[in-house]
Amino acid sequence: MSAVRAATRRVLAVIVVAGCALIPIGTVLVGSIASRWFWPSLLPAELTLRGWNYVVSGSGGIGTAFATSIAVAFVVMALAVALALPAARALALHTFRGKRAVTFTLLLPMLAPPLAAAMGLHAVFLQVGLADSFLGVVLVHLIAAVPYATFVLAGTFSGFDPDWEDQARTLGANSWSVWRRITFPAIAPGLALAAILAFVVSWSQYVLTLLIGGGRVLTVPLVLVAFQRGGDEAVAAALSIVFVAPVLLLFALTAPLFEDA
Amino acid sequence: MSSRRLIVMLSATIAIACGSTRPSDMFPATDLARMTWNEVTSRARGSTVRYAMWAGDEARNRFYQGPAADALRRDLDITLTIVPLADTSDLVSKLMTEKAAGLSRGSVDLVWINGANFRTAKQAGILWGPFVQALPNLQHFDPDAIQHDFGTSTDGLEAPYEQAQFVFAYDTVRIATPPATFAELCSWIHEHPGRFTYPAIPDFTGSSFARHFLLHSGEVPPSAFAERFDAGLYDRVSKPVIEALHAMKPYLWRKGETFPATLAELDRLFVNGEIDFSMNYSPTFASDKIARGEFPASVRTFVPNDGTISDYSFLAIPFNAPNPAGALAVINTFMSPTHAIMRARAMGGLFPLRLDRLSATERDAVEALPRGPATLPLTTLATRRIQDAYAEYVDRFERDWRTEVLQR
Amino acid sequence: MLLPALVVAGGTFSLGMFEVLRQSVGLGVPVAGESGPTLSHYAAVLGDREIHAALGLTLWVACISTALSVVCGVGLALGLRHGRRAKRGVNTLLQAPLAIPHLVVALATITVFAQSGLLARAAFALGLIDSPSGFPVLVNDSAGLGIILSYAFKEVPFIALVATTLLARRGDEHDQVARTLGASPWQRFRHVTWPFLAPGVGAAALMIFAYVFSAFETPFLLGQPYPAMLSVVAQQRFMSVDLADRPSAMACALILTVIAAVIVRVYLAAAGPSAGRERPVLF
Repeated sequence: MSAVRAATRRVLAVIVVAGCALIPIGTVLVGSIASRWFWPSLLPAELTLRGWNYVVSGSGGIGTAFATSIAVAFVVMALAVALALPAARALALHTFRGKRAVTFTLLLPMLAPPLAAAMGLHAVFLQVGLADSFLGVVLVHLIAAVPYATFVLAGTFSGFDPDWEDQARTLGANSWSVWRRITFPAIAPGLALAAILAFVVSWSQYVLTLLIGGGRVLTVPLVLVAFQRGGDEAVAAALSIVFVAPVLLLFALTAPLFEDA
Repeated sequence: MSSRRLIVMLSATIAIACGSTRPSDMFPATDLARMTWNEVTSRARGSTVRYAMWAGDEARNRFYQGPAADALRRDLDITLTIVPLADTSDLVSKLMTEKAAGLSRGSVDLVWINGANFRTAKQAGILWGPFVQALPNLQHFDPDAIQHDFGTSTDGLEAPYEQAQFVFAYDTVRIATPPATFAELCSWIHEHPGRFTYPAIPDFTGSSFARHFLLHSGEVPPSAFAERFDAGLYDRVSKPVIEALHAMKPYLWRKGETFPATLAELDRLFVNGEIDFSMNYSPTFASDKIARGEFPASVRTFVPNDGTISDYSFLAIPFNAPNPAGALAVINTFMSPTHAIMRARAMGGLFPLRLDRLSATERDAVEALPRGPATLPLTTLATRRIQDAYAEYVDRFERDWRTEVLQR
Repeated sequence: MLLPALVVAGGTFSLGMFEVLRQSVGLGVPVAGESGPTLSHYAAVLGDREIHAALGLTLWVACISTALSVVCGVGLALGLRHGRRAKRGVNTLLQAPLAIPHLVVALATITVFAQSGLLARAAFALGLIDSPSGFPVLVNDSAGLGIILSYAFKEVPFIALVATTLLARRGDEHDQVARTLGASPWQRFRHVTWPFLAPGVGAAALMIFAYVFSAFETPFLLGQPYPAMLSVVAQQRFMSVDLADRPSAMACALILTVIAAVIVRVYLAAAGPSAGRERPVLF
């Protein structure tokens, strides 16, 4: 295979992959400022800032939704990492009976999106007073976020040698110093990655928040779908950009971590 | 000042400062008979009312969070908080589950509700009331028309505040004269295969569209379906209508293999020239969309001569509303001419109040309302109006449509 | 050590599923004229035409999405390799689509692939069609093509990322040896490259299958009223104001989860100790 053919192939592949990201983003960006964009025009007849004005003004619950989304995602991120840390360590560094079962229990909510569980939890939460509450929504997001965080951290821990910790302890360091100087620096990239994934998992949830939040806990995806179904495409598109931007930013900032972790 | 007076004043201050909805704010609807309207208003003053409404319309959201909320704060010192809903049936499901779980103090005071949702809510006993008879502004509405909602008797459990009428939209660039009757519309569909469709049931508008064929079957006048359910009548009339709708499928868009799921999809098809008609419950929807750049300026609306269904939108109070007095005050305000005129200016829509009960200035203001290029005059709409069918007809027809038209 | 995570995530999930089970046999839902657990709802669901259609469509969409992602993803990975210098750039590039939530991809798919969408308008400008009906039906269609397309935007780069990582780890030696021995590109792929990729890509494919099978947002936005995918049918019946639909909604949800659980079990057996390490980015 000549180098030229290989290079052409690579360019084509790059174009395809770039398209997978740019087509959705580009379409939505144009849609957010489009007015009178009818068949068969490839470009809108007019441009408008109506959609953006509305979104930026925060009215219609958008401001609250944004604040709520961030708050929920942050709490989910913090809790998911806190819960995942010991679990990941156990999964990676220890062997024990029932490991298969544990892995299964943690894997299922990640791969079978917990719509079904949320339908059941709806009634349960009502009875314990968690329905329509911030805490209820956080809890239900955790079902999906904790497994993600756990498995990422487990991957990190599998490359970690606990002997370093033992050595430090025999040299007289206390637990906190061991953590600060040995463990934490070693797993920091994986930790950051797990945190980001947990944040994004919570940020992107739609149907879970819809079922458990019950209209009281309003997040960006809920408002987005309401506008899209209501037919206001400019506002829906602008909201989509607002929805995607933080995720893209977080991924961009942490791209190098994906390789190390 | 004696120390006792001081304590009383302090307690009062603390009580007032401790939040705007005190546990004693809840009271049973039966108390209304003993209360004067002034008592209701004074209980409502200074409180917060949580209003659950569908949030997918920018103009509506802006209006209720802006001018409407401001007016309430100014006139009655009430803080209006909007609880956005993606779908009213979500809230109804939630209230039913709350009632089953025994939750006596809910989180919503007021809900915008209609038709099937109202019937379910009424049957499930999740509404507070009856209360409508206590509202001073009830006089502004036509007493006969507000007795029924989609055929279910309202029984004072919901108050009217907006009115809608089913209209079609078409593009004058593509169609010079729209069909004059439903029969002509059918012929048009047969002559122009693939150029018409309607949203699939359970979409509200799609259901109404299909229901017109039942009401206009020709065998009986539409009013025969209004009062109560007659199974014999239904079986007799619906069979040929359902068959006709099924036979219409091959002439519809995509040969009837599928239907758009929402009005948003229908409008997208309409605007992009895939179909030639759209439909909506708001007579001003076309003018609104032209103003927002979502429809071309050549779009107009029409109503067939046989008449289309008109319904009121209603407001109801959930059984466990924490602030029923506040809800009552807000409902009454929404039913007032001032509010209706303000709302018409901001959002369009059909003016729901009786013109004969308005003052001269108010009537002038109504006449001066900007109508938009695509909106039909009030008189045209009023003369081409039919009452909706009793709820059970709606149910049966929707179910039959899904099994016999959609799934066959 | 494991307990907190298990209790919170696993416990809540199980609690929810237990309630689903309860309601699917008729308990806990005030339906008139019923008392005591019953399997009648399952019988009704299994005999329901709408459910049959939903199961069929869901299986079809999951299979095709997975197959498409594997074929295109591996193809992409093969096209992208040999760029040792650009390795970091390639990885970043492949992660960009993964960062866009499915919800937004679904919305964009409508705008691009509808009969009056951007692609159709381009075809019109090129004179290939003269009306929207001339453009093939790709969105809101009966075969779930729109859904498959929307998932492809994210799953193809995902598989490509998995394959690229695996290929980079291995290096070229085997391939070079095969080439000097006179093997054709296809033979090299079939006997050298693919067996190496198969375990990792296979595991990732199983993950995609499980996800597509039970996910909700994309088929909700891109599907047809009938037939609809199983998760959409379950949610619709759950949200229905007619409480009598609730048990059947729960039965659907349980069936969904059980099938997904089976797939996860298979995945665990196949992936072995490295299960879950591929950083599935499936939201």
